[in-house]
Amino acid sequence: MQTKLFLKNLFKAYYKENSKNIPEVSQFHQREFAFLPWEKQMMRRHLQFTELDKFREYLIKNAPMHSYCSGATYSTPDNLQMQDKGYLGCDLLFDIDVDHFYTPCKDKHDLWQCKECGESGKGMIEKCPKCGKFKITRLSWVCEECLNVAKNEIIKLVNNFLVPDFSINEDFMHIAFSGHRGYHLKIEDPKLRYLTSDERRDIVDYITGENLSFELLGLNEKSSGTIFGLLKENKGWSRKIMQKLEELLTQDDHYLEYFLRDHNKANLNHNLVKSFLNYKKEFLSNITSKENKRAIWAIEGFTLHKWKILLKAIVNEIGVEVDEPVSIDIHRLIRYPGSLHGKTGFKVQELNYEELLNFNPLNEPNPENDPIVFESKKKMTQKVQITKDLVPKTNIKGETYGEYTLGEQIEIPHHVAVFLLSKGVAKII
Amino acid sequence: MSIPYELVQRYPWLPSKNDYYSDIASREPTAFIKDVLIKYSNGELEARTFDIFKSAFQNLEEIRDYRDDELNVYLYTILKILLYVLNNKLIANRIANIYSKHSFKLLENESDYNIYEICKDLDINFQYYQKPIEYKLIIDKNFTSSKKAHFSLYFIDYLKLASGLRDDERKLLHNALEKGQVFLRKKELSRLLQELVRKKLIIEENTDVASIEAFKKKLLKIKEIEDLYENILNEWELKKEDFEYSFELQTYQGKELKESFPPCVKEIFRKIDEGQNVIHIERLFLVFYLHALQFSIDDIVNLFTKLPDFDRKQTEYQVEFAKKKGYSPHSCSTLKSLGLCKAKEYHDKLCLEGYHSKKYDEQRKIQHPLFYLQMKQYQKFKPKVKQKGDKKANAN
Repeated sequence: MQTKLFLKNLFKAYYKENSKNIPEVSQFHQREFAFLPWEKQMMRRHLQFTELDKFREYLIKNAPMHSYCSGATYSTPDNLQMQDKGYLGCDLLFDIDVDHFYTPCKDKHDLWQCKECGESGKGMIEKCPKCGKFKITRLSWVCEECLNVAKNEIIKLVNNFLVPDFSINEDFMHIAFSGHRGYHLKIEDPKLRYLTSDERRDIVDYITGENLSFELLGLNEKSSGTIFGLLKENKGWSRKIMQKLEELLTQDDHYLEYFLRDHNKANLNHNLVKSFLNYKKEFLSNITSKENKRAIWAIEGFTLHKWKILLKAIVNEIGVEVDEPVSIDIHRLIRYPGSLHGKTGFKVQELNYEELLNFNPLNEPNPENDPIVFESKKKMTQKVQITKDLVPKTNIKGETYGEYTLGEQIEIPHHVAVFLLSKGVAKII
Repeated sequence: MSIPYELVQRYPWLPSKNDYYSDIASREPTAFIKDVLIKYSNGELEARTFDIFKSAFQNLEEIRDYRDDELNVYLYTILKILLYVLNNKLIANRIANIYSKHSFKLLENESDYNIYEICKDLDINFQYYQKPIEYKLIIDKNFTSSKKAHFSLYFIDYLKLASGLRDDERKLLHNALEKGQVFLRKKELSRLLQELVRKKLIIEENTDVASIEAFKKKLLKIKEIEDLYENILNEWELKKEDFEYSFELQTYQGKELKESFPPCVKEIFRKIDEGQNVIHIERLFLVFYLHALQFSIDDIVNLFTKLPDFDRKQTEYQVEFAKKKGYSPHSCSTLKSLGLCKAKEYHDKLCLEGYHSKKYDEQRKIQHPLFYLQMKQYQKFKPKVKQKGDKKANAN
């Protein structure tokens, strides 16, 4: 409790000093607001603020652990029943959170422990490899590598989908670092506000490549056994896949072999990989030729099923790892820009697209966009005690801290202490 | 009011109808009907209206006597008024299906110019290309063909129009999307417009029965409409059984099947029965399932006639092809992954809890919808074993 009070007071001080920098989101008075207090794990929602100043005062007074507002607008956002709020429409939201997908760095910094048998380890697992049970406690960490992966997903979303395919005007896009392990992108285009959940699902499927039928794109096997593949001329996903396939075929053998073999990629067996590498040049020359033979896909060992496996792996590379329910749910809450994230102490930082390209949340050179708000100019330090068996290495502001083990008492820079305390792996002493 | 008058007469669901016929929108409905009946006192209005209902109840694929004249515009309004007072979802779906199918057939044969005018009138965000855009190339052995589009729709308009059509090929990710535009051929665009027409006519059953009754009382004071209404109801009484699949299937080959179908099959029948769109994978599953039960090709094809996009030739070909291939119906796990399993929605005990296997002396899950049917039939017709105490109870 002492640690929570310490963090709450820090948040309060931050809001007091920076309340004028808390931005006003569009249609502010029609949004539902929600907060999670430090004291108990119960969301206070169905709140409405008619003026920005009242909202800022609320933040200063209550210094919540987490602060949200709705993607939707309502005529009476403070009505306690969702169906009586008077739904007026919802922005299109995208959430990219590395919690939901694999990154290689997780094998180094994410920890798990089985509640059933006590087995523990590093990496991203669904069930205990020892006892097979699903009761797992996880400690997910952040590093530059996984935050870069998340950033690249947002860049892919904008550059490969929203702009070229959906023709969304960049002025309508609002990008924000979530304050933890990802990014949000909110599209405030009035034309998109009235999309139903099903229509939003259709857009999400397009962006992720989920439920793509290769047959409908043209992949088919004739009774003679000849396989006809996809064509680059065809607009939509067919072209995307062919461009990626060509890109893959021009990579060196080492990378291509990794892509074909790795169990997180195509996961093909040794013989197929060997065969693919042998036919690589010929295949590339075929599919890029102007003749009809470009449609015939013939590589020894590659049945229709195997082609589909390879194409699925390519689709996974192209598609964006968005958290689907966030985009589909029209009543979803999203972190308020400029507020603080209670699990890191980092600020939810709004960014324009240009700023995003060079943005590094753990070591941001531009002070205007720095989400690490508790760095002391006077180089103040804080003593804390580690409360978890193992705390992974933390790289913040170019310095590395840890690993730490249970019971260790350490004196670390103020902002690092805020991070460890917020992550719930240390307590103040 | 730039749209040609003839198009409004052919497609009275176009918004410009209200500009040409401002009297329709502005007048009290019964007063409007009385006036129309004076104008067309030869009984033609009632005959043509009744014929649409009759054609729909006979499950025909187009309206027999559809004429694009002024009467057609009035007829459409009266049709909507009748559907309101009938307040019967099944009837409305039948009318919506036949009317929209007929519109599709007309639209398919329209000139590009007319399609352009229709889309503009409907306020659809679209683009027209004088020189068609090639968006899909198909190479098949030595034969090359291409799909070229004169039209493209803004993706939001596409999503709105395609939202009721859940088949895979209409999903955005299987279409040619570029710069916010989905490229479509006239046939595909016409199919989307068909769906728009269908949606204009379907109704959710109105629970405000008092208001409907009050209006109906007033409406049926008009003798011609009262007769027409009675005729429609009589015709429906005669034909409605045809729209309950149970009638056709429940005693198929001497077996009572209706109650024995698993929820996944019942759900598809329910949709067909209501004239709703059924996605490709649902159709396939049903065909495989009924083939496995030895249903004839004709019986299976006839089941699909109730669908909004029914195409007899295509359906016959597909049903025959499926039979030739001899595919088995999907297993429960596949149905689950395809989102077709409806065990939870139907609270089906056998699906959810399984059955007790005597052989293994344990509770086992149903793993295949055909086994479900077998199990249900077994449970229904198994010889009753006399329980201890039966004798005593009977004696008493």
